[in-house]
Amino acid sequence: MSLQLGNISLKPTEQYHLNDVTLNFEPGKMYTILGRTLSGKTTLLKTIAGLQSPDSGSIHFMGKDFLSIPVWERNVAMVYQQFINYPHLNVRENIEFPLKQRKMEPSLIDKEVSDAIKKVGLEGFEVRKIQELSGGQQQRVALARSLAKKAKILLLDEPLVNLDYKLREGLREEFKKLFKGEEASQSILIYASTDPLEAMQLNGDIIVIDEGKILQVGSAKDVFENPANAKVAEITNDPAMNLNNGTIQDNKLIFNNEIQFDLPSNLQSIQPGDYQIGIRATDIHLDENGFGFDVDISEISGSETFLHLHSQNIKCVATIEEVKSYEVNQVVKINFDTSKIYLFKESGELLHSPFKS
Amino acid sequence: MNFKHKYVFLLPGLIVLIGILIFPVIFTVRLSLSGWNSFNPELDFVGIKNYIRLFTEDPRFWQSFFRLSFLAVTTVFLQYVIGFALAHMVWKDIKFKRFFRVLFLIPMMTTPVIMTVIWRTFFHESLGPLNDFLGLFGLQPQWLSSPGLAKVSIIVVEVWQWTSFMFLLMLAGLLSLPKEPFLAAAIDGASPFKKFIYVTFPLMAPISIGAIIIRLIEASKIMDTVFVLTSGGPGTSTETSSFYIFIKGLREFQMGYAATMSFTYLIIMIISLTIIAKVLTKVLMRE
Amino acid sequence: MAKIYTFLKYLFVILWACFVIAPFLWAISTSFKDFNSVTSGATYIPWLQFEPTLDGWSVLFKPGSQGGINIVGPYFNSIFVTLTASIISIALGTLAAYALSRYTFKAGIVQNNDITFFFISQRIMPPVVLSIPFFLFLSTLGLLDSLAGLIMVYIVLLMPIAVWIMVDFFNRVPKEIDETALIDGCNPFQAFFKVVLPNSIPGMIVAGLFCIIFGWIDFFFAFILTFTNVQLLPVKIVALNSSITPWWSLSAAALVSVAPLIIVAFVVERYLSKGNLSGALK
Repeated sequence: MSLQLGNISLKPTEQYHLNDVTLNFEPGKMYTILGRTLSGKTTLLKTIAGLQSPDSGSIHFMGKDFLSIPVWERNVAMVYQQFINYPHLNVRENIEFPLKQRKMEPSLIDKEVSDAIKKVGLEGFEVRKIQELSGGQQQRVALARSLAKKAKILLLDEPLVNLDYKLREGLREEFKKLFKGEEASQSILIYASTDPLEAMQLNGDIIVIDEGKILQVGSAKDVFENPANAKVAEITNDPAMNLNNGTIQDNKLIFNNEIQFDLPSNLQSIQPGDYQIGIRATDIHLDENGFGFDVDISEISGSETFLHLHSQNIKCVATIEEVKSYEVNQVVKINFDTSKIYLFKESGELLHSPFKS
Repeated sequence: MNFKHKYVFLLPGLIVLIGILIFPVIFTVRLSLSGWNSFNPELDFVGIKNYIRLFTEDPRFWQSFFRLSFLAVTTVFLQYVIGFALAHMVWKDIKFKRFFRVLFLIPMMTTPVIMTVIWRTFFHESLGPLNDFLGLFGLQPQWLSSPGLAKVSIIVVEVWQWTSFMFLLMLAGLLSLPKEPFLAAAIDGASPFKKFIYVTFPLMAPISIGAIIIRLIEASKIMDTVFVLTSGGPGTSTETSSFYIFIKGLREFQMGYAATMSFTYLIIMIISLTIIAKVLTKVLMRE
Repeated sequence: MAKIYTFLKYLFVILWACFVIAPFLWAISTSFKDFNSVTSGATYIPWLQFEPTLDGWSVLFKPGSQGGINIVGPYFNSIFVTLTASIISIALGTLAAYALSRYTFKAGIVQNNDITFFFISQRIMPPVVLSIPFFLFLSTLGLLDSLAGLIMVYIVLLMPIAVWIMVDFFNRVPKEIDETALIDGCNPFQAFFKVVLPNSIPGMIVAGLFCIIFGWIDFFFAFILTFTNVQLLPVKIVALNSSITPWWSLSAAALVSVAPLIIVAFVVERYLSKGNLSGALK
């Protein structure tokens, strides 16, 4: 019942590329494909759906060679970020469409459609035209259509990105609820996103992708706590994890002649040398006794302030848990939570993470 | 998306088109290499003799070409300016908007030949209403029998007929423009004049180019009007390339030579139109 | 300043309106004249300046044997040829346009845009250029002076228009709708007919209107390729343009022939105002 991708590659064009992707999806699980824009998430989804053919590699589903089956015969469902529905049909007809196409029994169709409409909370909207609905409602229709199909593979391409903030939060929770239930235990849900926060909230297995290559696969917790390399660390954090070059020498961690401190206990066993030092924006705090940094930019976002700082060659972003305005070139004093320091080799691989020794 | 089905979509139309066209096109080329004329109605082979004749001994062809360019450019220019102006005026805030819009659309719906027949009676130098009216001022222009005025007559008829088409394209374009830039201009207190120069015209640039190109392509084929109104005359003052080819091919039956002219004309047209399209795009898009 | 502009606006519009109406008024007036009224100098108002007769009109419906110029036959021929050629052109053209919009074709160095250009470039050829070879072509096939032959030729004229308009239109229908149809179980044909086509009606109406207009107004091909069996309206009317031109019947015939398209003008304006046309024409 699993979906297996083996060495899938697509030659790079301006829209599509995948580079030697091998993945295994188990039924009953939710997977989040996390990556930046144009990293290959949509390509991956479209290849699984059959809208794109890989130049090389294999795809097997339930033991069968998927590549020999054309799109319209694969039992997949896809929800786009642009609220795609059939404009010339009303809500009910939209949801019925795939079922009618499959020549299901009319009475059965009615039941499935009503179920789906109930699940997404659109009772009473059956005869409305698509154009009359709001963005959120249109997306729910798209979702209902996918659910009614009872597809074994459900693909979602940043489905909430065009909705407003509050709606996004609400629908995300509904997704997770919808996906529990016995039918769900036999399907594979693949959700593509650029937002690490969203990936964490969905709490499925995370597949980190960048430039068409798979960088890491793991549980949300694991990927977040132990990014396989510096690139993953950038992608899985918002703001991106601060990475600066530093040296371990003489039992000290040295960034530059001003910023250095004694090697914390958890890093004692590391060989002296040059490394990339990573620390999250949330692990940097204001400290009167800390190091002086100059403010480049101060951004207020919601109830937090993001401070972009530099001191000579060291740059970092700190998250301050209050709304406060800072002047450009103002000097602030900050300190790092040394127990949360990550060490990456110069090549980028993870050497040390605070959550694993 | 790349499915084999795509061929089933494309091929019927393409094959029908090529099927109906292929013989005529190949035949024209073959014909251009032959010396088919009324004395010698045979498909012999004379190499590029016809082409040489065309380029060295036939100034009439090139004159007809310049005449054609003059007529085409003048009429399209007038049609564009007037059509755009009319479209802009009946775009909004005008009484009897609907009446004017329908009225201005009518000319392009009429059969050009038929209207030209009526124009012929209109321009008639002794019995037509135009000279009757102008006679009150002591003017009796020789609309159809003087070389210069014959050109004017053709231009008048063409403008009457096809401004309507430009009008349609421009009005459709205006109606599809987004409201926001105009709201912004209103907030900024722009005068109607400024509004036109800085908002309307630039927004209409792509549509203007498309419309001009389409009209140039159609205008270059001016035939019906010339045929009925002046028969290329007086003399050769309104003889366009198409008409000259017509004379040589279907009146004098020098089919071989006519084919040569046709083929040459086609190549010139494709090249010129491509160049014009590119130039227009640069000029109008820059503003 | 604004007042001057408004005044000029109305002036311009009214002047042009007069210019548009002028030939029609003249034709209407002339159609009621007889030989004397025409040759004695220009006259305009019936009863005041000349005696109106219905000769111009009645002669249109009398068959040639009774000295009439029957235009009923050619009228229907024109309608038949125009409609048939338009329908075929739209059908084939829309299919081809869909393929050009959605799929990539590559045959050596020839790509999508080249194929589209090929279709559209058919409009560049002046009728004269095509008429000689078409003449011989139809003659070989025995289709000269026949409805079928003429329809064939008109398809070459009209299909490019259909392709031009529909390619542009399809490019503005999101591809994702096609993809969703495929995912929902439709093969590419079903996706086209069940999902894309129902949403393309506005575009097809525009294409249809233009095909009908450009088909109806053709003169030259009908002139060259038909003689006695098949006569189209424009040809019939121009044929009256001999040395002793019967201005009255000419005017009457002209008016009759342009009447139907005035209805089309209404339809187009309606469509325009509703905003449907604008999108498709861009």
